[in-house]
Amino acid sequence: MTPLLQVEHLSKHYEGRRSLIERMTGVPHTVVRAVNDVSLSVGKGEILGLIGESGCGKSTLGRAILRLNEPNAGKVTFDGTDVTALDPLALKNMRRRMQIIFQDPYASLNPRRTVAEIVGLPLKLHGLASGEEARAITARIVERVGLKANQLDRYPHQFSGGQRQRIGIARALVSNPEFIVCDEPVSALDVSIQAQIIALLLELKREMGLTYLFISHDISVIGYLSDRVAVMYLGEIVEMGPVEDVLANPRHPYTQSLLSAVPEIEPQGRRARVRLAGDLPSPLNPPAGCKFHTRCPLATDICRVREPVSESVGPGHQAACHRLAEGLNLLDGAGA
Amino acid sequence: MSALLEVRGLRTVFHTRAGEVWAVDGVDVEVRRGECLGIVGESGSGKSVTFASVMGLVRSPGRVAEGQILFDGRDLRALTPREMRAVRGKEIAMTMQDALTALNPALTVAEQISEALEAHDETLPTRGRARRAAIRAKSVEMLGLVGIPSAESRLRQYPHEFSGGMRQRIMIAIALACRPKLLIADEPTTALDVTIQAQVLELITEIRGRLGMSVVLITHDLGVVAEHCDRVMVMYAGQVVESGPTAEVIAHPRHPYTRGLLASIPRPGLRGQPIRPIEGQVPDLIGMPPQCRFYSRCPVRREACLAPVAMRAAGEGRMARCILLDEVPA
Repeated sequence: MTPLLQVEHLSKHYEGRRSLIERMTGVPHTVVRAVNDVSLSVGKGEILGLIGESGCGKSTLGRAILRLNEPNAGKVTFDGTDVTALDPLALKNMRRRMQIIFQDPYASLNPRRTVAEIVGLPLKLHGLASGEEARAITARIVERVGLKANQLDRYPHQFSGGQRQRIGIARALVSNPEFIVCDEPVSALDVSIQAQIIALLLELKREMGLTYLFISHDISVIGYLSDRVAVMYLGEIVEMGPVEDVLANPRHPYTQSLLSAVPEIEPQGRRARVRLAGDLPSPLNPPAGCKFHTRCPLATDICRVREPVSESVGPGHQAACHRLAEGLNLLDGAGA
Repeated sequence: MSALLEVRGLRTVFHTRAGEVWAVDGVDVEVRRGECLGIVGESGSGKSVTFASVMGLVRSPGRVAEGQILFDGRDLRALTPREMRAVRGKEIAMTMQDALTALNPALTVAEQISEALEAHDETLPTRGRARRAAIRAKSVEMLGLVGIPSAESRLRQYPHEFSGGMRQRIMIAIALACRPKLLIADEPTTALDVTIQAQVLELITEIRGRLGMSVVLITHDLGVVAEHCDRVMVMYAGQVVESGPTAEVIAHPRHPYTRGLLASIPRPGLRGQPIRPIEGQVPDLIGMPPQCRFYSRCPVRREACLAPVAMRAAGEGRMARCILLDEVPA
């Protein structure tokens, strides 16, 4: 089966600004490699969970796939079409099929537009419907996400955070897309509201046959709803595979430490804590070799000089680490 | 042994244009010596306002209307502002959720730690070079205590030069500078990544053991409470709905809200099974009738719940605010 979305060697770099003197004296740009040579694929009807800590580039990756941030290199293929090669008009048409739900339900809705205007805008932009028909479609989707049709003429500030997130979901779904980047859609919400939105997203996926790239920093959420998971660290995917495999048998030391850090409600679910030294290094000046070596308890000399390549460690399961062959697991106390 | 902090019948009201909001309505809290008490609740549950009231930090249009706040045998509400200032920071210290806004961006870390020491530490030499040297030595010691390397040079830096986790550590260092008996940590790790969160929580637990202080950990994350708190209090819409030993409350929740909250947490172990979210949203506290506050969202509500509901004993060291305790199996 060919995947619905195929991402090959995608990179997104940002260049730092140089002062006049720096430019005249030829000081090179400082470059942030927010997304560095990332390849992944998402099958139709699948949920790929993308997990990582803040600053690892997971949101940038999601936006680069939709070309909301233009990638510097690499290729994105959606349903056989090379998205990275589309001209602006073709890209606009493609966006009807590829949508995004944003993290912040406060900043992502225009405070001066009513719900009907916000949710109905994609219909107008793509010329799908107008007038009474557009309003009827808008009302239907707004009701489907759990709001009332009589709230169509209200403004975002009249809604709570969870309700606003529902508006954002309605806006993403109104054009009947096939693929949605869910960029931390539940991170800003309270636990009980978060559960409502997760349940809604799963229902909608089933009903409309959607495919999600689900970005989150919350392993519990990713573990609950994804089919496969990709773990990102400093702009690169360090491990990817079926979610059960990766959670039960994480192979990369970063995945292992990430899993061990999650506070567990049930005492029997608790694991030995892997202590990571220090903070995430600055992406402006990433470490040479394996980017994780500065914090990795297993790092050796080769990790400091050579970048590891991704290897297969099981069916559909891959990881990038020099010490994979040794089968070490920090959760069993290795490296301690 | 008597409790370190005992709050009885606390009611805090905010006067807004739309009406009175009883943000804290009849809250009892007991913090024992040396324990870590977890306060769990969603936004608007009153968990932060409760402890702002304890600290005497509620400002107009808010007001602590009723209740008793006993700390180490003294009634804090009876203290003059001057006396309260001597308690705040010295005997009870608080860390805030957002370290970047809680720290002063224009002062170095050294200046901010010494501020607390200058105000409260009576063991310091009274003046001159000896005092400055003692403050410096203590500041270095505090940064060491919270695990900030090369403390000497980092004291000269400003908050923006530190990462989020390091800033939270600095705030903890300032809070602990005068060795308080009680540390109130308001969402200390909400803004942090999970690996950094684990570091900070372990630090708090470790220091609590070493200094023998009590900790109140305010959080919305039941997992954090499960791993770090001896006892837990669950708050909803300005009231405590359930309290007791953490392990038991999580294993056998007695209040429908606690049960709903636990069922709402997605877990990898629940893959494929639908999660059962609590329907609806937190009620508007303006003009809230004196009924069970969870009524509008409760799956087992009945007519009798429209009368005021009091906290009731719900087993060994446990309380819950529900009239159906006897009927709903534990």
